[in-house]
Amino acid sequence: MKLLSILILFLVLPLTANAQKYITKDGYIGFFSHAPVEDIKADNNQVASVIDTSTGDMVFQVLIRSFHFVKTLMEEHFNENYLESDKFPKSTFTGKIVNLSDINFSKPGTYNANVEGDITIHGVTKKVTAKGTIEVVDGGINATSKFNIAPEDYNITIPSVVRNNIAKIVEVTVTTRYTPLGGK
Amino acid sequence: MKPIYKIALFVVFFMALAGILTGLYLFNLQHKDLKNVKPDFIITAVDLQKAFESNETSANSRFVKKVIEVSGTIESVKAGEDKSLNVALKTGSVLGSVICTFQSDSEASILKVGDNIVIRGECSGFLTDVLLNNCAVVKGKS
Repeated sequence: MKLLSILILFLVLPLTANAQKYITKDGYIGFFSHAPVEDIKADNNQVASVIDTSTGDMVFQVLIRSFHFVKTLMEEHFNENYLESDKFPKSTFTGKIVNLSDINFSKPGTYNANVEGDITIHGVTKKVTAKGTIEVVDGGINATSKFNIAPEDYNITIPSVVRNNIAKIVEVTVTTRYTPLGGK
Repeated sequence: MKPIYKIALFVVFFMALAGILTGLYLFNLQHKDLKNVKPDFIITAVDLQKAFESNETSANSRFVKKVIEVSGTIESVKAGEDKSLNVALKTGSVLGSVICTFQSDSEASILKVGDNIVIRGECSGFLTDVLLNNCAVVKGKS
């Protein structure tokens, strides 16, 4: 698994001479479920991600156990019953910025990005597309995105007793601040 | 009504009430302050990272979901979303650090790069770094 992590993070992206890789290990992914009974929010501040500005490749990795809920019982149900984090400890996204030519990584500014790729949650891989923004700043890149996910698509079954407590569509928020790989 | 039925009714009523209150209590239970929780393991950041790098599977079954008291030198302190704080401890590994996430930044003033520190956190597992959540400072530089 260690080798796999390194492989995904560092080697999947083509190693070309002018490759420009940016990395974060402190990215944020949160999700929000709005339901008549209650609103549920979870935060993960331990997102690892690499972006290659020469190819537009993007990789994200998170541990399911790193999602933090205010209520411990919810966190326990999320891990034990819904996401089965012992069986499927990691979630990944491997994709590409499809409108790479619209983004000038050497000129500070805010650009719209369209990202396409494969997301794996609960052992199920699906194609997703998401809109986001790329902000080129001095010494790094900030990226944000918001997209929706249906737990049902990933074989996450929610028992009928609590079906009204959990939304059919969950809103996912991504915020990452990248710094050049190799630099501090 | 006979007195015995009255007592029985009373008992049933209180048991139901106790049940509802216990349920509500469990439902609303929040994370414990790990300052007051006995750790399952006491280890240095260097050894913890080594354990995951040499055998992730066995380290997962040993450390994940456990309360770990980790000691080390602070490599970086970064602010996260919603006033959270990420503190990385040096491991000497090229691959990664031990990353400790604090849900609040209330202890930020005692977390300085280069300081030796003892932190307690719940282990979530390993990506290229060992990840600890719900962290609290046990012993900092005074």
